[in-house]
Amino acid sequence: MEKWECTACGYIYDPEKGDVENGISPGTAFENLPDDWVCPQCGVGKEFFQKMG
Amino acid sequence: MRVIIIGNGLAGTISSKTLRELDQKLEIDVFAEEKHHYYPRPNLIEFVAGNIPQERIFAFPGNWHQRQKISIHLENPVRRILASFQEVEVGEGKREKYDFLLIANGSSAFVPPIKGAEKAGVFTLRTLDDAFHILEYLENHRQVAVIGGGLLGLEIARAIRAKGADVEVIEFFDRLLPRQLDVQGASLLKAQIEKMKIKIRLKSATEEILGQKEVKGLRFKDGTQVKRDMVVVAAGVRPNTSLAKEASLETDRGLIVNEYLQASHPKIFAAGDCIQHSGRVYGIIPASFDQARIAASNIIGEQRKYRGTVPSNTLKIVGLYVTSVGLVNPEGEEFEEIQIENKEDGIYKKIVLHNGNLVGAIWIGTKKGVTEISRAVTEKQNVTKWKESLLKDNFDFSLL
Repeated sequence: MEKWECTACGYIYDPEKGDVENGISPGTAFENLPDDWVCPQCGVGKEFFQKMG
Repeated sequence: MRVIIIGNGLAGTISSKTLRELDQKLEIDVFAEEKHHYYPRPNLIEFVAGNIPQERIFAFPGNWHQRQKISIHLENPVRRILASFQEVEVGEGKREKYDFLLIANGSSAFVPPIKGAEKAGVFTLRTLDDAFHILEYLENHRQVAVIGGGLLGLEIARAIRAKGADVEVIEFFDRLLPRQLDVQGASLLKAQIEKMKIKIRLKSATEEILGQKEVKGLRFKDGTQVKRDMVVVAAGVRPNTSLAKEASLETDRGLIVNEYLQASHPKIFAAGDCIQHSGRVYGIIPASFDQARIAASNIIGEQRKYRGTVPSNTLKIVGLYVTSVGLVNPEGEEFEEIQIENKEDGIYKKIVLHNGNLVGAIWIGTKKGVTEISRAVTEKQNVTKWKESLLKDNFDFSLL
């Protein structure tokens, strides 16, 4: 599963770790995050993320 | 201990969040001029474009401050800092005492001295209220000029174009994104943007906004006139320094801080768009983020040094990835520039070397290697041995 980076602040979403603090369990692919999920660092939406690599 | 934070933008919000993470007992008060809760500014563009609904502009749920035990005072700006008393004045003569003050009151949109800039129909986009005003005016005014061909100007043009209006971007320089791109990269970007039916006018200084009370057009320095009924000015931002100045804190272009992000008074720290560190004013999210975390840690008693943030911008405009890292328009013979362009695929890449060390890069139309190249620029890696192959499609970026 690929990592995604927030283009606004640089936060990296790592599917292996998920975003436990906001109810996203480890192993959740970026594509499967809920539509209203936001960057846990700066708060922008999914549309600001880009696939890394 | 009580910390007062001025401002609820990114720096104010992230520093309050960090303070709470570090200390559960700390009393945290945020005073803000803003009437809305924290929203990341990039969301404003998507909101204007109609890509996200109003409720999704905000970063955190409505009860976030309550859960974090952070007292937020909206529409309640600090009016005066009384540094020697460790107090701020809020509301009418009401004073609040602090142990530490964190100034994060940001920056304001800069409007160049253009004749007629006070007319109805002239906007800037900095706050959520600005976005509301733009959308309202846009309903009955469909000929828009965006003054400024920088990152924000192009993003605004894209958003307004998405609303079906006619948009023309007016740029003073001879190229778009003058800070991030060189001439060659910018001309490739321009061609892509024009495909989106956004007009671009370069080398044009706006001298006057025409019309009686409302915008009817623009007149440029060379005498040319164009009909337009709405103007959005995107000519950059300037740090808000008047509050700090009145408190006799050291200021220049921004509020001056040392490497611990401390202002010229030991109980006052600062972070975000309002500060000037090592002669630099950043105005970018990653820098504000780093600063907010460090300033908050130092208030708690750590001794963390802020070492600056390398500006890195990847934006996606008209479906085109544009990355610009570090120094991209070097001046002087000691620099070496190597570039490659493929017009058909809309790809342009350039690296800038200083004594063989990588100090800057532009990547347009591709993301391949962007992460690695950005890191290599940050580390000023010596890439002499790869300089011939680095720009090729098949280069193994894991070598960096």
